Amino acid sequence: MSYSSYTCLKVEREGPVGWLINNRPDQLNAMTAAMRDEFATAWEELDADPKVRVIVHTGEGRAFQTGVDVHEIAGDGVGMERYRESMENFDLHFTAWHQQVWKPVITAVNGICAGGGFHWVADADIVIAASAAQFFDPHVSIGQVVSVEAIGLLRKMPVEAVMRMAMVGRYERISAARAYELGMISQIVDPPERLREEAQALGEKIARNSPAAMAATKRALWGALETGLTEACRAGAGELVSMWGHPDQTEGPAAFAQKREPQWVEPTGPSPA
Amino acid sequence: MNEIPSIPVGSRPYETLIVERRGPVGWLVFNRPAAGNAMNATMLDELERAWHDLDADPDVRVIVNTGAGAMFQTGLDVVQLSRDPDALRVQARRTKRAELRLSAWHNGVRKPVIAAVNGLCAGGGLHFVADADIVIAASTAELLDPHVSIGQVTAYEAIALVRKSPMEAIMRMALAGRYERISAVRARQLGILSEIVDPPEALTARAQALALDIAKNSPAAMAATKRALWAALELGLSDACRAGAAELVAMWGHPDQTEGPLAFTDKREPSWLPLEPPAGAPTGAPNPPAPGPVAHPEGARP
Repeated sequence: MSYSSYTCLKVEREGPVGWLINNRPDQLNAMTAAMRDEFATAWEELDADPKVRVIVHTGEGRAFQTGVDVHEIAGDGVGMERYRESMENFDLHFTAWHQQVWKPVITAVNGICAGGGFHWVADADIVIAASAAQFFDPHVSIGQVVSVEAIGLLRKMPVEAVMRMAMVGRYERISAARAYELGMISQIVDPPERLREEAQALGEKIARNSPAAMAATKRALWGALETGLTEACRAGAGELVSMWGHPDQTEGPAAFAQKREPQWVEPTGPSPA
Repeated sequence: MNEIPSIPVGSRPYETLIVERRGPVGWLVFNRPAAGNAMNATMLDELERAWHDLDADPDVRVIVNTGAGAMFQTGLDVVQLSRDPDALRVQARRTKRAELRLSAWHNGVRKPVIAAVNGLCAGGGLHFVADADIVIAASTAELLDPHVSIGQVTAYEAIALVRKSPMEAIMRMALAGRYERISAVRARQLGILSEIVDPPEALTARAQALALDIAKNSPAAMAATKRALWAALELGLSDACRAGAAELVAMWGHPDQTEGPLAFTDKREPSWLPLEPPAGAPTGAPNPPAPGPVAHPEGARP
């Protein structure tokens, strides 16, 4: 499967691992309106490619992502008003979660992650980072509100750290080491140049698991952030039962007993929402 | 604690569990060490009975849950269950209807529960970590969730862990399957557990000592506190605080509320009232149809 041509992103596949790479390194991968549109397409294309089992998202250059391109906002005479309708309707399309991608998504933070860059930390399943990575949220220092991305983080990690970052703005940064302590990320890669190699290896490891079981598990676990515990367990039971009778459920134990790699059912097209 | 005698709890003997009391501490020990303590049909039945026996025994103030042998708990014994279609059918129905009866939470246990993870905890074993109030572990303990590596879905146990610990680590464990494990050290960093016991052989003694400390607190106040805090996982913040306020007020007028301050000023151990026996049906769960001890009038609010 060939992908569209992109100007702000690189979209490619290496083995079972699809790569989505922010590619505006000179602007610290800040998001223009064009890049925002490309994200929507890129997630859809990677989700639709049956050869892609796991997706890694990273950035070119010294930053991972630094939010909206402030120069575009300041200079085009439209500013944030361009995004009013999508925000008022909460109809966003630039992260895997927005796009209901049910394949595992690994965010590999290669450097600075600032402000809106947290969307892709909050909305990933797994986050790893280069040892040089730094995290901060300058919104309030330039008169902007932080909400969606910080709300996602609050549900996934200790609240105080997120609140401090949101209030301190540009005057403090969280190191990769502290992000690991807090459970915001699960792995620090040192030296930082080895980040992509490690992300590929992690992606290949996860790609050995049943695509259908991972998709249902992912829906069940993200559901835990939506409702109370008992309701989330009931919804999770639905996901669990949905796999009963699926060929992977017999193939998995059979392959384990025979000490061979399982042959999973190929995912067909975008996973069900 | 060698001097504390072990007294069997419950009116009928157990085959796959050890269920006993050492002083005020009830012990629920998975006892199929040759099978990694995996849950066969008998253990599934006995777990429900054991939690209710321990919760109903007024001499038990705190419950410790651990495993015999090298492992803590490794989930359903799929091989044994596949030879027992009736048991499999019951379990399938309970899974489908969200009516599991494996853990203390599923069974509406009101007393504090300490999981003492003595070794490997895999897959369905995570229920007993997720649903405990307190978790401690031997330094050799490891957590892993192999479900997706054998084509199975993870739900309940990881959903509860997502609500109680940083989510990314749980999601990684669920998606990495059999290819990665969380060490006891990392689990403590993440707050999945609060204490590592080294050498691992000291785990039982440490769990008993911790439980003895907790057993010095008011049973009624701990039960209300436990209900209030687990409700925080069911509701939004303001609603959870309202429900918690009701738990708080419900203790006003209880003898423990005057005994506590009196004993403190008299510099003596307080004499608490034991918990009332569980009300109603022998199952004892405050809300039998749902897993979990929390009445949930709000229902789903997606």
